[in-house]
Amino acid sequence: MRLRVSLAGAVTAALISLNASAQADCGQVTITEMNWASGAVVTAVSSFLLEQGYGCQVKKVPTSTVPALTSLAETGKPDILTEIWPAVADVYFTLEKQGKLVRVGNVLSDGGQDGWWVPKYLVEQHPEAATLAGIMAHPEWVGGQFNNGPSGWGGRVSSDNLIKAFELEQHGIKVFNHGSGETLAASLASAYESKKPWFGYYWAPTGLLGKYPMVSVDMGPLDADKAKCNARIDCATPGKTSWPTATVLTTMSRAFHDSHPDIVALMSKVSFTNTQMGELLAWQESNKATADETAAYFLTQHKRVWQAWVSDEAGRKLDAIIQ
Amino acid sequence: MSGYNAVFESLGLQGWCSAGTQGGPVTLAQLLAKAKANQAGAGEGSLPFPSLDALNSACPAIPRTRDMTSAIEHGFLTVRDGLKVVLDPLTQPLSWLLELSLKVVDLVPWWLMILALLALTWWLSRSLRITALAGSILLALGLVDHLHYALQTMAIVFTCTLICILAGLPIGILMSRSERFKSAALPVLDMLQTLPSFVYLIPLIFLFSVTEPKLYGIAIILYAIVPVVRLTDLGIRQVDGSVGEAAESFGMSGWQRLTSVELPLALPSIMAGVNQTIMMALSMVVIASLVSAPGLGVLVLRGINNLELGVGLVAGLAIVLLAIAFDRVTKASMARLSAQSKGYNP
Repeated sequence: MRLRVSLAGAVTAALISLNASAQADCGQVTITEMNWASGAVVTAVSSFLLEQGYGCQVKKVPTSTVPALTSLAETGKPDILTEIWPAVADVYFTLEKQGKLVRVGNVLSDGGQDGWWVPKYLVEQHPEAATLAGIMAHPEWVGGQFNNGPSGWGGRVSSDNLIKAFELEQHGIKVFNHGSGETLAASLASAYESKKPWFGYYWAPTGLLGKYPMVSVDMGPLDADKAKCNARIDCATPGKTSWPTATVLTTMSRAFHDSHPDIVALMSKVSFTNTQMGELLAWQESNKATADETAAYFLTQHKRVWQAWVSDEAGRKLDAIIQ
Repeated sequence: MSGYNAVFESLGLQGWCSAGTQGGPVTLAQLLAKAKANQAGAGEGSLPFPSLDALNSACPAIPRTRDMTSAIEHGFLTVRDGLKVVLDPLTQPLSWLLELSLKVVDLVPWWLMILALLALTWWLSRSLRITALAGSILLALGLVDHLHYALQTMAIVFTCTLICILAGLPIGILMSRSERFKSAALPVLDMLQTLPSFVYLIPLIFLFSVTEPKLYGIAIILYAIVPVVRLTDLGIRQVDGSVGEAAESFGMSGWQRLTSVELPLALPSIMAGVNQTIMMALSMVVIASLVSAPGLGVLVLRGINNLELGVGLVAGLAIVLLAIAFDRVTKASMARLSAQSKGYNP
């Protein structure tokens, strides 16, 4: 009896110590998978590096900016939030000030580029269409229509305020509010394929802008204060300005940040330029690939880029897997 | 590497297989599997399900599943231009009707609109209780600044229901006449009812411009036409055979039999179909807003996208109130019609 108890105790102790040693490795990590193309690619790459290089058990959480920040504020999970665009969600700055989350790095080093775009062939036809003044003087060049983004997009709030400030509708340009990002993308793609005029809001880095050369319309000089007001839905005095570059961050919950310094070191280095991301997304479009496959393409084709991100030990483990 | 390599080798198809292209995206899982296979030399005996992808990894000449889906897309894009030539003029009246009804909602002052709707409710139901219900719903919606959105949704639902009835009745009548047509139409109706609306939105977005109302009009009609068709067919088939024979013996032609005997007797069933069509059109409101339809769906989407619980809930409740109003009104008019038709039965 005593032998059996001590045997059971020894087995349990062994199991617990095994578990503990596995957890000391890295343990369970929850990471957001944003519901847009570049976000999904970043998450696929990061979770592969975490799993194979650092021995973490990664759980991907499909979500978007506002729900992810809300979840972090309320529950402290998910651990890693990728591709947060703080300009879209004021709540980010509140959470940062409260210390609930920690900014770890700029995942899109060039920042996001919002803007009002026209196709390149339109500018070749009418060079003045590259400026907003030119478009407002000749609304027929852009088909008399502005394609606005769907509600929920940060760029929609700014666009709405800019439309008011520049008085687009009074200059004969009808504003069409798309119901979803998909129809906005479809309208751009179908206009480009038939070489028809198009004018509307879009953002980079995206596969669409990687695939179809577009020109960002010159809206005058940048006024940072006006741009900040325009980004708020309750802005009393929308102002004329061009678009600021949006910082795009990787953030972590405070608890995770403090307990996993090696992962902080990795995620602070994970970063793509807009050219790199644009190339990846254009490849994804033309090969009809999933985010998973795009990540595999990136990891095999751009070894030198990601090898600079990982620690030496992780780099050795990953080298064995990725030829 | 899998057991299928051995299968193809033994069949002597190596030459044909290696003529195929192998390239294209690999998944992370395949990357890992390749690494493990290189280390352990394992997997040569494994036999996964002989899917296109599994066979392709053994024999590159066999197309992958993604090639099949690309081929479908390619095929559709090839016929698209021809389809557009046929479909655009056919569907243009729908665009005009929708634009007209939305313009009416924009231009007519609110009090005239509410009075007109109450008059319509009274004419259909002849019930003070139901007219009061409709009136209180409209006033409640107006109180929370949802009246304009609700009227836009009503305009879209009414227009699409009208087209559904105009198109669905003849199809239902044809189905009741011909067994062969019915067996051909039934799978189509099943597909329209169960295929997720997003799935047939995709080809619609390719076919029609996203800025035109007919895009969401067609999506709503395709989804909502099914009850009218099915219940018209059911109603006519359920008309007592002896009544039809009696009509024939009186010297009525087929057309006269249809319009004077069968349709009036099938009217309760047809009205049930119209009721269900209105309900299904209303349930499509949010999906229609995804393709830029105005109305209450826009508010629901705003609530979903911005995580504004209150906005989404209130807009959703407004849709429910509209559904209740439509349901009561059409049921009351059905009751009136069936009471009348019962009066004609010997």
